[in-house]
Amino acid sequence: MNKQVDLLQGTLDMLILKAVSLGGLHGYGVLLRLQQLTGGRLQIQQGSLYPALYRLERKGLITSEWGESDHRRKAKFYKLSASGRRQLEAETARWNDFASVVAGVLGAVPGES
Amino acid sequence: MKMRRRKQFEAEMDAELRFHIESYVADLVRSGVSREEAERRARVEFGSVEARKDECRQAWGLQRLDELRADLRLAFRTIRRSPGLATIAVLSLALAIGANAAIFGVFDAVMLRLLPVRDPSRLVFVQMVGVAGWDGPPYPFFELLRNQAKSFKEVSAFSPSAIELIADRGREMARGVWVSGNFYETLGVRPLIGRTLTASDDDTPGKGGRNGAVAVISDTYWRRRFGGDPQVIGRTIYVYKQAVTIVGVMPAEIMRLEPGYATDIAVPMMLSDPVKMRDRTSLWLFVVARLRPAVGVKQARAEADALFQAYVADVQIPAEVRTRLFHHMDLAPAAKGLGGLRHRFSKPLTALMALSGLVLLAACVNITNLMLARAVARQRDFAVRLAIGAGRGRLVRQNVTEALVLVGAGAIFGIVLARMGQTALAAFFAQGNNTIVLDLSLDARLLLFTAGLGLLTGLAVGIAPALRAAGNDPAAGLQIGSRSIAGSRVSMRLGRALVVIQVALSMVLLAGAGLFIRSLRELRSVDLGFVREGILTMEVAPERQLNGSPEWLAMQAEILERVRQIPGVLSCGWTTMNPMSGRDRGAIIEVPGFAARTEEDKEIHLAAVSPEYFDTLGVPTSLGREFTPGDHGGALKVAILNDTAARFYFPHANPIGRKIRFVNYPSSDLLYEIVGVVRDTVHDDIREPASRFIYLPIGQHVDRINRLALAARCSGDPITFATSVRRHIQTVRSTLLILNVSTMERQIEQMLLRERLVATLSAAFGIVALVLAGIGLYGILSYAVTRRTNEIGIRMALGATSNGVLWMVLREALALAGGGIVIAIPAVVVLAHAAKASLYGVGPFDPLAFAAAALLLAGFAALAAVVPGRRASSLDPTTALRSE
Repeated sequence: MNKQVDLLQGTLDMLILKAVSLGGLHGYGVLLRLQQLTGGRLQIQQGSLYPALYRLERKGLITSEWGESDHRRKAKFYKLSASGRRQLEAETARWNDFASVVAGVLGAVPGES
Repeated sequence: MKMRRRKQFEAEMDAELRFHIESYVADLVRSGVSREEAERRARVEFGSVEARKDECRQAWGLQRLDELRADLRLAFRTIRRSPGLATIAVLSLALAIGANAAIFGVFDAVMLRLLPVRDPSRLVFVQMVGVAGWDGPPYPFFELLRNQAKSFKEVSAFSPSAIELIADRGREMARGVWVSGNFYETLGVRPLIGRTLTASDDDTPGKGGRNGAVAVISDTYWRRRFGGDPQVIGRTIYVYKQAVTIVGVMPAEIMRLEPGYATDIAVPMMLSDPVKMRDRTSLWLFVVARLRPAVGVKQARAEADALFQAYVADVQIPAEVRTRLFHHMDLAPAAKGLGGLRHRFSKPLTALMALSGLVLLAACVNITNLMLARAVARQRDFAVRLAIGAGRGRLVRQNVTEALVLVGAGAIFGIVLARMGQTALAAFFAQGNNTIVLDLSLDARLLLFTAGLGLLTGLAVGIAPALRAAGNDPAAGLQIGSRSIAGSRVSMRLGRALVVIQVALSMVLLAGAGLFIRSLRELRSVDLGFVREGILTMEVAPERQLNGSPEWLAMQAEILERVRQIPGVLSCGWTTMNPMSGRDRGAIIEVPGFAARTEEDKEIHLAAVSPEYFDTLGVPTSLGREFTPGDHGGALKVAILNDTAARFYFPHANPIGRKIRFVNYPSSDLLYEIVGVVRDTVHDDIREPASRFIYLPIGQHVDRINRLALAARCSGDPITFATSVRRHIQTVRSTLLILNVSTMERQIEQMLLRERLVATLSAAFGIVALVLAGIGLYGILSYAVTRRTNEIGIRMALGATSNGVLWMVLREALALAGGGIVIAIPAVVVLAHAAKASLYGVGPFDPLAFAAAALLLAGFAALAAVVPGRRASSLDPTTALRSE
């Protein structure tokens, strides 16, 4: 099994946005999709998913709708809204910038300036 | 959020979380874990469901709402637990807020509200100004301005006047207004039904419009006179002799630009007196104009003034009169209408606003004190809550919520009281013959004012107890026994200080009320120069064609004859204007041998009276004689002066036999010989000394005599004679109109409307404050007795008598009251100084009013001490000593 990675502060929202951007999902589905995308390397407290989902919906970044699950049960499905998509793009760009800057610093070799 | 939606939110959240857990359990079971083990793992990995739900609610923004709901629930529960306190708090707040809202309603209606016209800020009054003040310009100048001035979009004129109407053969004097045809178009006022007047209704002198004479009536007159029948449009009525068609019904409050005065009908100017309209110096109009867009007031004023200067250059006016009134043109804002009512009531209403503010302050102090006392009693409760983790912020919020609930209830009752108060106030203003109609409806402004006041009050009374609650040290608070309360020494001191402030506030209000009541009494006892009791007054108006005719003179004599025959009528007489009737007439005279320094010296008040008139009023003759039936139109022209005029024009000589001349009349050679001097009488302003008066016999008057006032001295209540006097007048001629039936005493009370208003309301406010102070004193004394039970027991055990204990409590009450009274006195003097103009016959420091107020307060303090004092003095020392 791969080594587990701790979730960085504030990145859960971004990951949820990414997860639901690939198609509507219910809460449990978001968890499964994230586990699948990270290859199970990311430790997510199952319960903490929901306050994040409520917060994102309150902000209007995702929308919800009641529908039927694969097992023909009623479930609440989330999907990305237009402003959520813009937010996701902005966050992704920021993250990439940040990561490359940090990687550049950490990857610096002594004597090189 | 609504309850139903909240329930749905909870149900959906529950379903969603359950779905998650069940799906996980199902997946685990599918992967071969036993059901029991799967359920355990799901629970562990999910974490506390309730905690998650709370986080979700918070993320959704529901937590604040939940806390508010909890605060409210707690507030209601504590209020229910001490209903006495809640009742006192809500009642006193309701009284205070109601008083403030009611006064504000009147203040708003009189002082602040803009008239409901289109774009009121662009309306201006066009006025002539001189050193003597301002007035509207003469009609010919109005026409000039309307036709030539480019700064104004429209220029219109109006002139309030009693107008005689005949409808269905019933003759009456209506409260009318002559208007230029474009008046309502200038204002932008729309009719309720029918149409309004237009310029083409007012273009033919004597006829009105080319297509016939028309008029509009007010909605109040429409309902009163025509029962609100929409068929009134197209009906013909008579304005004097002229048939006029009613074309529209207008909102009464905007029939003329003068708030507070009711109007029945508006008739085009062209139907009014043609002589007055042609007169180039006659002052009877108000001119109102609407500025053209983008034209400033300065520019418009300059243009109006240029036109005016050209106009007056062409008119014969003495230089003196020019500087007095015909000097230049000015523009004044017309958004609030003419300021007569505003001017008359601005001072009393401002004073009443201030006084009602003090009442509110007293109520706030009272409630703060009650809530503080309770906060102390609940110290343990707060300590427990702090100890188990409640934030101090939450405690503050909880206390403020409680205060706001009380104040909210107070404000709602306050609005109800304010409505009742306003009904009474409206009736107060509407009494007498010159009724003032105030629009005191429950409008958004009043509600907003009340809500703002309530919010401020709630915060004011909630903050101190809240901070006190939050400032608790939980460790100390938890150790508090049921009896000894830590920190209570401080709270006692604060409570006492607040009671002293309350007493001081009531002292200010009571002493103020005392000053106003004393002023009113002084005004009522001013010697008016005539005997006010027993005089019936009424006005009698003949048809227009009888004005100035010999028949009308003959009728006058016949009426006096008949009225004199009524048993109980002692004497009667006619005059053109009774004192206290609100009517006035000025004239300009020249007195040979008297050198007038200014034009003003030639001005004198003028009335025509019948024989026996001075007798009827009880005005003694100082010199010479009264008028007799011999002073008829064909006889030698004679006049009577009052003392002031005699002294002014003949300081060193006997005026009898001297002549005076009226100037400014077409046949200006009107010489009158002075045959008598009568004592001064006060004509309208009781606060002012009598002015110069000249009296002429009715048969020799310089004006054509039309409407006259009758005065009859009766034995007994004069108003009971009204019916028989009226019957006798109408036996002489059934079509004579009888108006404004009243008595001299009633008319005087009418003149004192402002003073009565202030005296009555300030007394009411004083009583409210007095009761509040009594409650405050009672509260603090009861608390002190409870706290000192032990000490009192010791004193009694050591030999204190029960009277001694009673005296101890009483002494404390009197000390508190005395403190408040003493600190209030300088404040009263300062405030009374500010209101000096409203006082009469009393100085700002009036020992009598102050002593009465102090005595009343001391009495109330003693009363408040009775119950706690009795309780203290009847304590049994053995039980008291054991009390813990």
